[in-house]
Amino acid sequence: MSVNQEHKEMLDFLQINEKSELFSDVPNNVRKKDLKINRGISEFELLEEARRYSMMNQGPGMINFLGNGLYDRVIPTSVDSLLGRTEFLTSYTPYQAEMSQGVLQSLFEYQSLMCQLTGMDVTNSSMYDGYSALGEAVRMAHRINEKAEVLLPETIYNTKLEVIKSYLAGLSIKLIFYKINMETGHIDLEDLKNRINDNTCAIVCEQPNGLGIIDENVFSLHEIKKNAILIAYVDPVSLGILKEPGAYGADIVVAEGQQLGIHRSFGGPLLGILSFKNEYIRRSPGRIIGESVDSNGKRAFVMTLQTREQHIRRAKAMSNICTNQALMAIAAASYLSIVGAEGLKKVATLTYQNSKKLKGALLKSGKLSDNQLTGKSFSDLLVSFSTPVEKLQDKLYDRGILGGVPLSRFLSHGKGEVIPNSFFFSVTEKTNESDINQLIGALEVIS
Amino acid sequence: MSYKQASYDEPFIGELRSGTTYKIPGKVEEKVLDDLPAGSGREKLPLPEVAEYDVVRHFTRLSQMNYSVDIGMYPLGSCTMKFNPKFADRISTFEGFSEIHPLQPEKSVQGSLKIMYELQEYLKDLSDMDGITLQPLAGAHGEYTGILIIRKYHEDRGELDKRTEIIIPDSAHGTNPASAAMGGFDVVEIPSSDKGTVDLEALKAALSNKTAAFMITNPNTLGIFEDQITEIARLVHDAGALLYYDGANFNAIMGITSPGLMGFDIVHFNLHKTFATPHGGGGPGSGPVAVKEHLKDFLPVPTVSRDGDIYFLDYSHPKSIGRVAAYYGSFNMMLRAWSYITYHGSDGLKENTINAVLNANYLARKLSGKFKIPYKALKKHELVLSTENTGKRALDLAKYLIDHGIHAPTVYFPLIVHEDMMIEPTETVSKADLDQYADVLIKGLNIDDAELKSMPKNLSVSRIDEVKAAKDLKVKWDLE
Repeated sequence: MSVNQEHKEMLDFLQINEKSELFSDVPNNVRKKDLKINRGISEFELLEEARRYSMMNQGPGMINFLGNGLYDRVIPTSVDSLLGRTEFLTSYTPYQAEMSQGVLQSLFEYQSLMCQLTGMDVTNSSMYDGYSALGEAVRMAHRINEKAEVLLPETIYNTKLEVIKSYLAGLSIKLIFYKINMETGHIDLEDLKNRINDNTCAIVCEQPNGLGIIDENVFSLHEIKKNAILIAYVDPVSLGILKEPGAYGADIVVAEGQQLGIHRSFGGPLLGILSFKNEYIRRSPGRIIGESVDSNGKRAFVMTLQTREQHIRRAKAMSNICTNQALMAIAAASYLSIVGAEGLKKVATLTYQNSKKLKGALLKSGKLSDNQLTGKSFSDLLVSFSTPVEKLQDKLYDRGILGGVPLSRFLSHGKGEVIPNSFFFSVTEKTNESDINQLIGALEVIS
Repeated sequence: MSYKQASYDEPFIGELRSGTTYKIPGKVEEKVLDDLPAGSGREKLPLPEVAEYDVVRHFTRLSQMNYSVDIGMYPLGSCTMKFNPKFADRISTFEGFSEIHPLQPEKSVQGSLKIMYELQEYLKDLSDMDGITLQPLAGAHGEYTGILIIRKYHEDRGELDKRTEIIIPDSAHGTNPASAAMGGFDVVEIPSSDKGTVDLEALKAALSNKTAAFMITNPNTLGIFEDQITEIARLVHDAGALLYYDGANFNAIMGITSPGLMGFDIVHFNLHKTFATPHGGGGPGSGPVAVKEHLKDFLPVPTVSRDGDIYFLDYSHPKSIGRVAAYYGSFNMMLRAWSYITYHGSDGLKENTINAVLNANYLARKLSGKFKIPYKALKKHELVLSTENTGKRALDLAKYLIDHGIHAPTVYFPLIVHEDMMIEPTETVSKADLDQYADVLIKGLNIDDAELKSMPKNLSVSRIDEVKAAKDLKVKWDLE
């Protein structure tokens, strides 16, 4: 039976003659006349067209020093393969838990793995991206203690700050910036201490921070935070070698999870990781998967504490979030499972090793000024050239190299000019000596 | 029909002990971590150590304990679970799209920007709106972006202090009041009329110079088209408020009418619903927001513009609300939606809408003798029935359905119908699927309650104790 015959039978059953009668409730004055969109094409034509568009992009195969939040890391083929499992890819939110144990257990394992990585008690089953998760974390802190002042590092990226501000639009929260020492790149502890008072809602710290520096003062913030909520925004790969936030007194931990097995895809989809202490669970946003048993006593998983969420609590919900990044959470869970503890430690160690090598090579090139940050960099190496360089990123691109984003692009709201002629070059475990040599060679010519 | 889902006693990945096999390239030099700041080093990293083959088998086995739209009908109301085309999976893996960093020079990402520009144009055409942002990362995120635009609009006119209320019908999706409240507005809920549509008198009574906006979806969550929409728009605009379109139900009208023609000022789309991007077990989604001319200046930055054949990121929105996401939105989802629209074209998109509505009406009629289907008979993309007249609980029938290998509808939503099931078949099911769905559901009425409550039996687990989950709150494994 052809589709048309099938539809004919359905129309007969409905006792109508034409499909157009199904829209008799749409008034004439709002009827759409035509679409400008072209008529449909075949799959073959579509794939050809999409391939043509993809060839208009350059990037794959080039030498890469771009990072600042998203990184070109090794992604095990198995991660992509598992994400392609149709049962994960094409299922909805697990509303019917008994039929959706695969997604539920995978997300429960994601929550567990993230708690191991961050050293925290609870991780929800995902947020949109790191920045929006940070916005939600600040809202959560405000729900917890209802205080009005949030302290942020002055070197926070302007884009991150804008997202936080968007999340705070409906609240009376004052954002206050604490100083970063521009010689070491570490938090100015005295300055921060002076800003903490009875009205302090939360302290946001970054590890590594906006200058790419492993900030040794982050580890002692619990000593000065008083009653404020400590929110740590961390690089999840760095936790392969750096102390976990749970061990330095963080109350809430936020991270961008793209590095854990997710392709960069021009910036999305990403993965917002949100972890926190047990005591805050009922004030937290987002879905949480809990373990229970079925009627036969077998271990089983469900979405739990749903009374915090919008579909139950409506205007009084902890957040409006509904759709999240479940598939990306499964990517991160499978990534961490495949590379394991040793693998993640190696990825992090190689990253640190490569940033030191790159810094050494740049210092040797004679192109840098005498004043460089003394703190240690992780992925994002910030260096200061001795003379101004215009359009460095474009010039490098013309020589087959991606990277060299100016600091001012990230810090235009405040301290962007404090370190003149500064540019980022980011490394990963993939960065090799040849990449570094070619960068140095290119800089010889253009700077 | 007989059905058995795979059922494994699958351990946690952290319980497997086969040892890591995956190779990370590169050589770690000795003492490389020795110069880390004192006290910054990690002492213990308790992650799994499992062979790659075991990880793949573990998650593959888990996946087999999960239903998906590639297995069969998945008629969750307001979720538009239609077939996700495979060409979009393929295109999304092209290296020229997947291996691109958002901070690359614009000249190196012309292909991605062109996709985004064309998607912007597509969505503007479909909605009859004038400006658009692709940045929001999900439907609710789009709603919140819309709320921020509403704030900025009234602030710009010096009226934000007084316009503190957002009106929402009692049949609205939960995200609507949640988004409005998150943006600092008071939510005023109005009851639906006995026809299941907006009660104009209730709306008139609620509207005042305190109203910032009215948020609705059309058709509404009962699957009924708000045929007084022009009058609604006039009332809202006369009160100095804005009209917001929740695009969750856009699949019912695409190509037939549009939010722009109906008088809406702001609309969000759900690319993971109407435009068939896969829902990934809960996400990612993508929630672009389009606006009329008078709100274009408030859109988040950047959007994508064109100068001749050159595409660029456009930051020139003088009164922009700023940013709602780290970069430009969920590009991979945009790419898939672009693929869907390009493939189906103006003819196919309209055809899909018509067939989605045909399927919903057919199923409604099939079930109407057995279940109470309140309000108007003519449905759009979905129908809401009540099991109250049958003596059965909607929850029990839902568990019965999944035991037969077909996904249950949304249950207990919208809140204004008791013991309800909200069913959205979409266009990608056959008459045979619908007949079978109706047959199975109706047969369920003949099963006694004790038997229904013992279901499901054919899935990887039987009915789960949700109370225990909330009471014991075990949200991670106990492994070291």
